[in-house]
Amino acid sequence: MSLRKVKVSPLQAGLVLGFGSALVQAYFKVIPPLAYGVCMVCHPKDLFNWIADHLLHLNWGYSLASTNWPLLTVVGVVLGAMLAAYQHGELHLRSVRQPLFYFINGFLMINFGLILGACPIRIVLLSAYGNWLGIIGWTCVVIGVLVGTRVLRWAAARTVRRSEMA
Amino acid sequence: MIASIATLILGFVIGYLGQRSRLCFVSGYRDFILTHDTNLLKGVLGAFIGALGGFILFSFLGSGILGFPMLLQTTILTRSAVIITIVSALGVGIVGALSGGCPYRMHVLAAEGKKTYWVYLLGFYAGLVFYNLVTTHFMDMVKTVLK
Repeated sequence: MSLRKVKVSPLQAGLVLGFGSALVQAYFKVIPPLAYGVCMVCHPKDLFNWIADHLLHLNWGYSLASTNWPLLTVVGVVLGAMLAAYQHGELHLRSVRQPLFYFINGFLMINFGLILGACPIRIVLLSAYGNWLGIIGWTCVVIGVLVGTRVLRWAAARTVRRSEMA
Repeated sequence: MIASIATLILGFVIGYLGQRSRLCFVSGYRDFILTHDTNLLKGVLGAFIGALGGFILFSFLGSGILGFPMLLQTTILTRSAVIITIVSALGVGIVGALSGGCPYRMHVLAAEGKKTYWVYLLGFYAGLVFYNLVTTHFMDMVKTVLK
């Protein structure tokens, strides 16, 4: 059986994500906090802490939206992406590169994200909601990406210089 | 339970679409800065427009969109909240640019079988334990100092 290749533009995916996040807040009680439809640091935290709380009684905090049952966005994202990759022949095991670098990046990302109370998706949703901290945060995320990109450029240029000298 | 099922379905849809479109909320800015490529940036703007349209529509329908739009309401921004937001958002941006994507994109790449991003997620969830044990207490101290 041949499966039709699904082509989606980032604009279409973004529109669905944004509208869907408003929809789950409006009709499916993914609230409070506000503009909480999709967050890839807070929802994993809610799920992880909910399980830790119910299994080990650790009393780690989670949002009111997760009080009775945890939010399963992260599980859905992984399953959806896995199905898409499988359907299109893109599901392959690939070896690890720079493990320590990526481990530290993941470690730092969730800590900064949870201090902010949002991931780069929710900061956009908060801005759309008209939240001032969301707008300030979104601006600073963009500035942060600008700084990070400069660091990457500098590191790449240094590597080229070193290889030329060698 | 309805919120769990709704987020599972929404997550599944955006995970599928994210894998097909390479949507990323960090690479969009990075690509634009590096090469003026607006393809992924359109996804970020699409999310903003989609969310804004949804919030406007559902607030007109009178369903669950409390206090929208917040811009028109009197809000008091505390100094500590603004400083913490600026510092942490800069951190999210820098770390996102260095690692090559937002947490959403990293989960999608991990689901494709790329073990590098499994390691990223290992760090991500180890960081979550660290946040619960250390960072929350540290941030309580910071908030007290900034008051």
